Amino acid sequence: MEQTNRRQFLIRTAQMTGAAACIGIVWTVLIQNQAQVAAHALRPPGALSESDFMAQCLKCGQCVNACPYDTLKLSTIADVAPIGTPYFIAREIPCEMCADVPCVPVCPSGALDRNFTDITKARMGLAVIDEEMCLSWRGLRCEVCYRVCPVRDKAISLTIVQRETSRHAVFEPVIHSEHCTGCGKCEKACPTEEAAVRVLWPQFVQGKLGEHYSPTQGDNFKVQDIGKNTNIAKELKPGSKEQAAPGMNYFNQSGGREGEIPGGKP
Amino acid sequence: MTSLSRREFMKKSIAATTAATVGLPVTKAALAQARNAEAGWKWDKSVCRFCGTGCGEQVATFEGKIVAIKGDPDAPVNRGLNCIKGYFNGRILYGEDRLTQPLMRMKNGKFDKTGDFVPVTWEQAFDEITAQFKRVYKEKGPAAVAMLTSGQSLVQEGYAAAKLMKGGFRSNNIDPNARLCMASAVVGFYQTFGIDEPANCYDDFELADITVLWGNNMAEAHPILWSRATDRRLAAKDSRIINITTYRNMCSDIADLEIIFKPNTDLAILNYIAREMVQRNAVNMDFVNKHCVFATGPVDIGYGMRPTDKFAFPAEKDTQAQQLKHTIDKYEAIAQRRKEGTVAETAKAAPDAHWQISYDEFKRGLEPYTLDFVAELAKGDPDESLNAFKNKLKQLADYYISGRQKNILSLWCMGVNQHVRGVWVNEQIYMLHLLLGKHGTPGNGAFSLTGQPSACGTAREVGTFSHRLPADMLVANGAHRARTEKLWKLPAKTLNPKVGTALMVAMRGLEDGSVNFVWTQTVNLFQSVPNTNHWLKAARDPKNFIVVADSYPTLSGKVADVILPAAMINEKWGGYGNAERRMQVWRQRVNAPGQARADVWMMLEFSKRFTLKEVWGELPLPGLKVDGFPENKMPSVLEEAKKMGYNEDMTLYEVLFAHADNKKFAWPDPVAKGEDNTVVKLLGDGWFVEKALFEEYRQFTVGHQHDLASFDEYYADNVRGLRWPIVNGKETKWRFSEGNDPYVKPGEGYNFYGPLLKATGTGDLDGVKDATPKPLPGRAKIFFRPYAAYPEQLSKEYDLQLCTGRILEHWHTGSMTRRVPELHRAAPSAVLYMHEADAQARGLKHQDLTWVETRRGKIKMILDTRGRNKVAKGTIFGAFFDEGVQVNQLTLDATDPLSLEPDYKKSAAKVYKA
Amino acid sequence: MNEVKNGATMTTESAPQKPVSRPPIRHFQIPLTLGGKLYVWRFLIARRLVQIGVLILFIGTAHWGWTLFNQPVLSGDLSSSRFLGVIPLSDPFAVLQIIASRHMPIFDAFLGAAIVFLFYLLLGGRVFCSWLCPVNMVTDLANWLREKVGVRSLFIVPAKTRYWGLLLALILSFILGVAAFEWISPIAVMHRELIFGMGIGLIAVLGIFIFDLLIMAHGWCGHLCPLGAFWSIVGRVGQVRVAFDDAACSRCGDCVKVCPEPLVLNFKEAARHGMIRFGECTNCGKCVSICPEQCLSFNLRACIRKGAEPSQTTHNSSS
Repeated sequence: MEQTNRRQFLIRTAQMTGAAACIGIVWTVLIQNQAQVAAHALRPPGALSESDFMAQCLKCGQCVNACPYDTLKLSTIADVAPIGTPYFIAREIPCEMCADVPCVPVCPSGALDRNFTDITKARMGLAVIDEEMCLSWRGLRCEVCYRVCPVRDKAISLTIVQRETSRHAVFEPVIHSEHCTGCGKCEKACPTEEAAVRVLWPQFVQGKLGEHYSPTQGDNFKVQDIGKNTNIAKELKPGSKEQAAPGMNYFNQSGGREGEIPGGKP
Repeated sequence: MTSLSRREFMKKSIAATTAATVGLPVTKAALAQARNAEAGWKWDKSVCRFCGTGCGEQVATFEGKIVAIKGDPDAPVNRGLNCIKGYFNGRILYGEDRLTQPLMRMKNGKFDKTGDFVPVTWEQAFDEITAQFKRVYKEKGPAAVAMLTSGQSLVQEGYAAAKLMKGGFRSNNIDPNARLCMASAVVGFYQTFGIDEPANCYDDFELADITVLWGNNMAEAHPILWSRATDRRLAAKDSRIINITTYRNMCSDIADLEIIFKPNTDLAILNYIAREMVQRNAVNMDFVNKHCVFATGPVDIGYGMRPTDKFAFPAEKDTQAQQLKHTIDKYEAIAQRRKEGTVAETAKAAPDAHWQISYDEFKRGLEPYTLDFVAELAKGDPDESLNAFKNKLKQLADYYISGRQKNILSLWCMGVNQHVRGVWVNEQIYMLHLLLGKHGTPGNGAFSLTGQPSACGTAREVGTFSHRLPADMLVANGAHRARTEKLWKLPAKTLNPKVGTALMVAMRGLEDGSVNFVWTQTVNLFQSVPNTNHWLKAARDPKNFIVVADSYPTLSGKVADVILPAAMINEKWGGYGNAERRMQVWRQRVNAPGQARADVWMMLEFSKRFTLKEVWGELPLPGLKVDGFPENKMPSVLEEAKKMGYNEDMTLYEVLFAHADNKKFAWPDPVAKGEDNTVVKLLGDGWFVEKALFEEYRQFTVGHQHDLASFDEYYADNVRGLRWPIVNGKETKWRFSEGNDPYVKPGEGYNFYGPLLKATGTGDLDGVKDATPKPLPGRAKIFFRPYAAYPEQLSKEYDLQLCTGRILEHWHTGSMTRRVPELHRAAPSAVLYMHEADAQARGLKHQDLTWVETRRGKIKMILDTRGRNKVAKGTIFGAFFDEGVQVNQLTLDATDPLSLEPDYKKSAAKVYKA
Repeated sequence: MNEVKNGATMTTESAPQKPVSRPPIRHFQIPLTLGGKLYVWRFLIARRLVQIGVLILFIGTAHWGWTLFNQPVLSGDLSSSRFLGVIPLSDPFAVLQIIASRHMPIFDAFLGAAIVFLFYLLLGGRVFCSWLCPVNMVTDLANWLREKVGVRSLFIVPAKTRYWGLLLALILSFILGVAAFEWISPIAVMHRELIFGMGIGLIAVLGIFIFDLLIMAHGWCGHLCPLGAFWSIVGRVGQVRVAFDDAACSRCGDCVKVCPEPLVLNFKEAARHGMIRFGECTNCGKCVSICPEQCLSFNLRACIRKGAEPSQTTHNSSS
């Protein structure tokens, strides 16, 4: 009796655990599906790194309320950003880069960093230009993106070059990631049918040099790190055949003996 | 909470503007359909609708709609390129709120000034307009009616309107908005050369070594010309660009030298350069002796304001008082060799009087303009050191003087023209080039750019100004009237010899009761004229009747009594003439929507409603006092008319337009190449209106240094416009110099042959000593013009200098460009550019909502300290394209007394938190 | 439905065993006068007023920029908000999940959570569920409709399932590094969608409505909701409780019929403690307002103890 009871209890526990696991799996899948942010769904200024932001955001929308320009939105189910989190789409309403950054101090959880006060330090996104479709790159006098940029001449500048086919200079807009805040005003203003300048998450557009090769970084040059992770094989006793010294196996494969041709059969 | 009020303002303004700018379903649908059948597209040449550059375009139509446009690769002006406005040229026809029906204020089925607008038929609209016109005309005569047209009117439209007003109604009260834009340049041309229009052409951009911009933000206002100038800077390592301006703009980005000066001190800087030329023996005495004379004029000429403050707002009175009396300040005292504190009364004599002086007198005039004096006076950026500024001025003088080998090109536009001394500055720039003997030759010259697409071709050349007749003739000149009457087949003395009301005067006339009927065409005056609070109110005076013909709802329509829907470019046949004397034409490609019709049809249809006996009898004309005319009235010319074969019941349409000569040009014409002509169809009497009017107008030009080619020549497939004078089939690039200009005979070297004002008295800097006209055939005048202060100086209360202007994305008052959603998105509203330090001093920050207030009114604007125009401390800038932010409610309506062109660039303002 | 019946039968069965004299059974009857009706509905009306009122404050602040003393009135949503621009309010369960996810929110969040926690501790835990949670309106409607139409539950899970959900939420938060329940919470979805603009998220609310109506009676609030589970735990020590006057009770069972929470109205338990002690009780007041003998009422835990002690001892001695 006691045994059956105990057995029943074990089975019952296993069942419950199984059920919880099943629900847990479905739950996990739901969350993992949600945890995708489209490259053009930009976070408010001062947002923590995305994984921290997603964890810490309370989804309360106070930043949305604080935004004077209706830039920020809260995402809904199956939206471009995880449910309930704030984002904005540059082409719809870009960030006006308020000097007092009203969206940040109201954040109750710290998902938007309270220490963030200088809006020009924001890195909400990074603008990229489709040079093939850009009117200015094609020689037209547009440069709308340049003129609307709140960090003009720093985040975006015009490279002026001669046009090969006529006597008109071309005013090519060029983005500088060092200063681009990702406010999105350029994308909003771009007059082509589909914007020729897009503001996306920096990691979607930015490359990265190997840390060892950084000629411009001067003091940070990490030459000492290059060999750090190399494993030099332990030296073997002369005459030992038990273990292979580096290169030994390769040399012994074939080709050293009489009649053998290195590299296999003729 | 400020963020809340800011939010509200943003929301409201966005709602207000987006309502008028929703999508363009017509073109989009047509485009999608047409993509499949690109083969069916029909391409033909046309011209950009916007600025004075005059870019050529190719326009494709398909099934009655414009489906595509592109910059014309064969057009020498733009070589296939466009600016962002030009890129959207095709779209401006298809805004959702395009006017398609005449609208009239009605109550109980009748016109009523206090009624609401309701749709009416063209017939009803014309009936009421005619009745109102006749009411005013009968009571007060031709001086009380006014036709206000545009530098964007087509050549034929301007010609028809001018002929109807001057030849038909015998009224010189026709004036274009070019008065707000080019009038100072015109007077400068008249006084210096005796003939209007630039001597140079766009080829000079590629030939100049030194390009100097005088108050001209070409980078935004003439985008395609700027890319040419910039290309030259890149192509020739030794070439230079100099930007002389009152605030840092985009031109500074590539300029080798940027000079920020205080408003109005350009007069002093120019004199400093001239003085340096004299001091350094850089004057080309050979050229000057052979081809020039020196001249000057009166100094105390006022500021073109009304001599009374009867109509002024209380706050305006102190500024207004400057018109009558002005106290000489310490800089003027030096510059004009007078005593500080002298109260100068504005001279009663004509401000445009001038007389010849000697070279010594000229030099004496320049004497006070030393580097020290000018630098102290002119330095415009408080953050710049005086020494740095002095060095810049010296450099500038060096550039002008540097070697005979260097080609130098001076360019200007609104900064110089919209200036209380705009004519003077025009003349001073010519002064520099004439002293150097570098004018009107390849790469050398003082080149007055123009703002509007046909300010030159229409407003100036066909004579839609209140003082002009076609081809540079003047209403006040008896011989010119006689020639015009002959060509127009009018009885002698039909034409009114008294100069009509300039645009600004006509607007004031609405307020003071001297003008009661105004018809505006292709212009949004109640937004674009300065000091609008006065005129907006005056328009609603029950005695006044306002007709507005336009393509889209504008602010002007709001204060009108009748609104007439107008056809736009490519919906009618026509031509534009740009700043380099290049006339370009296009065919009617699509039909105007609904009942929208061409202005030329309106003029012709209107003319049908007047018989000769109504307009050619005796008419009251107060103030007329001209030899050969009775006092205060226009004589009847009906008897004379009968002798010429007219009868008094003939309509003006028959006499002025549909006469036998014109009817010879029959429609259809092979030049049409299958395109339609709605105007001809509507008139129904089979003559090719645009061709006939053009050919009639052309008679004025041929043999009179303005020679145009024939209508058909312009339409030839390989022609992308031609630069007049066109003599023996050859266009003219540079005027007045031998080998370039067909009117200059071999051996002359130069001939400034312009016929106007070519005899003056003589005297010294202080006045005329000998009034006997001394002729100066073939010579240009080098004017000495002193520095003079502007009327509304900054004060403790109004401590900021408000400058207005335009931006690349929008054209004028935005009535077209704000209908293009992309352009609207690119620049949705006009913001107030201010220096960060000035903002801080007022407790303001970027994006704050502020009040901007002058003596004339106050408006709300969003502050921008990161703006495209980087103003120096003490200066603010607001563009005028935005109906929601009417900067012209703030601007002062002082004008240059010579040209009557308003000065939009200097109003004293204060800014505080809203 | 089954449960309610079971509960009722269970308690009525146990009643006759006790030699206590009870008043004759009089079932509840809805008064005929409007005033009487309103009196009966007083808690329902008050709850709806609070629920909708708070929602309107949120919406007004978000959409119309409502201010008081120049400060936004109530900005945010039920997950976290700020009252008059100063007082932070946060959902303690959400903050708990964030901590579980190995992240540390800033002080504001803790302060807000503490304020909210103390508030509900005072008012009795699940008072949140019936007085503030917007989903309550949906499930109440589903319940009303279900009873009206007479839908039988498709299946039933134990009411304790919610505690498993609570545990799972914390475990998953730890594993996934995000606040697991906040990412799927239909409560938050509904509230956000109502405040920040109607969107596709309201489908989740429809899902709950259908679930409660057709699949499981009181399914979401009564069995599954992990947030309800959280507040249930708080409710165990919640200070405002439904007091029970055993002596006046006729055991008519009307209260059990209207109670949305399974097993909460246990007469034996209630009689022993003089109040509904279960944390799952939401203080909705449905039972209070319909009791024909007026033997149920709201009171503070402390006051009830004092008052209830003698009767408790009687019961003890009698048993």
